[in-house]
Amino acid sequence: MADHANGRRLPPLAGLIAGGLVILGLFLSMFVGMGFLILAGLGAFGPGILRELGWLRDQDEFQREAAYRAGYLAYLMGGLAAVFAISALRWQDANLEGPAGWIMLVLVILWTTWLFSSLLRYWGAKKTASRVLIVFGSFWTVFVIAAIIGEPPSTPLEAMLATLMGLVVVVPFFVLAWTVGRWPRRTGAVLLVVAAFLFMLTFPTWLARSLEPSGMLLTSALLLVPLIASGLALLREGSSDGEQDEEVG
Amino acid sequence: MTQQDLADRVGVTRQTILSIERGKYNPSIGLALRLAGIFGVAVETLFELAGEENHG
Repeated sequence: MADHANGRRLPPLAGLIAGGLVILGLFLSMFVGMGFLILAGLGAFGPGILRELGWLRDQDEFQREAAYRAGYLAYLMGGLAAVFAISALRWQDANLEGPAGWIMLVLVILWTTWLFSSLLRYWGAKKTASRVLIVFGSFWTVFVIAAIIGEPPSTPLEAMLATLMGLVVVVPFFVLAWTVGRWPRRTGAVLLVVAAFLFMLTFPTWLARSLEPSGMLLTSALLLVPLIASGLALLREGSSDGEQDEEVG
Repeated sequence: MTQQDLADRVGVTRQTILSIERGKYNPSIGLALRLAGIFGVAVETLFELAGEENHG
């Protein structure tokens, strides 16, 4: 909008290029190969992504508000359609295979993107990261307790070792939830390292079990995205907002 | 001054000015201040709460 402010009016070049890409992509995908659908995708979603990254500034505040509102409605309708599609495809099964797995992946991406975008906007990076870590810690606590109850240790030493192992997994999440308010950048970096560690820990298991790619990506989205999103947001925000002593619990 | 002139001066599209005039869009404080500045009036002279909003 800087160009508008200077009194010069530019044609909606981004819109023209995006529309051209969509039409070209659809045309080529119908008559040449479906791979060209990527062009239509770039035209349809590229400008919006560039705007969110701040690299394309061609809309005023009313246009942005309209786009955000439309985006929320698209999320609701897309999410609902995805749930119906999964239900219809796997009505009588308890597993997610084939197309249903991929649709579930899209659904999880939709939901996690919406959730973290909303939380980061509303709470800010520190509070969001802190609460994500508390949820993670609580989840692992339940998981560890369930594991111990599922296979009760036979001796007191085994029980102590199992509890100790459980604490080693659980306690860091609560410690990091505390350090977020004090050292946001360092905690953000640690979260990214933890996400990388979890990925390296779980990836060989996925390969060994020959999970479908959609299953691996789905688990990544649920397990790693919260940590990566919080970590990146903390690194970006750092300690520049002067809210170091703000309550984050 | 045309709607387009005004839009150019405050850095928005003509459609945005049109929507503000018709009460379909409430501008941000920044845009409201820029509009008021161009007309040389206070913001509350240019914009007022309608109907029951006044008593909220």
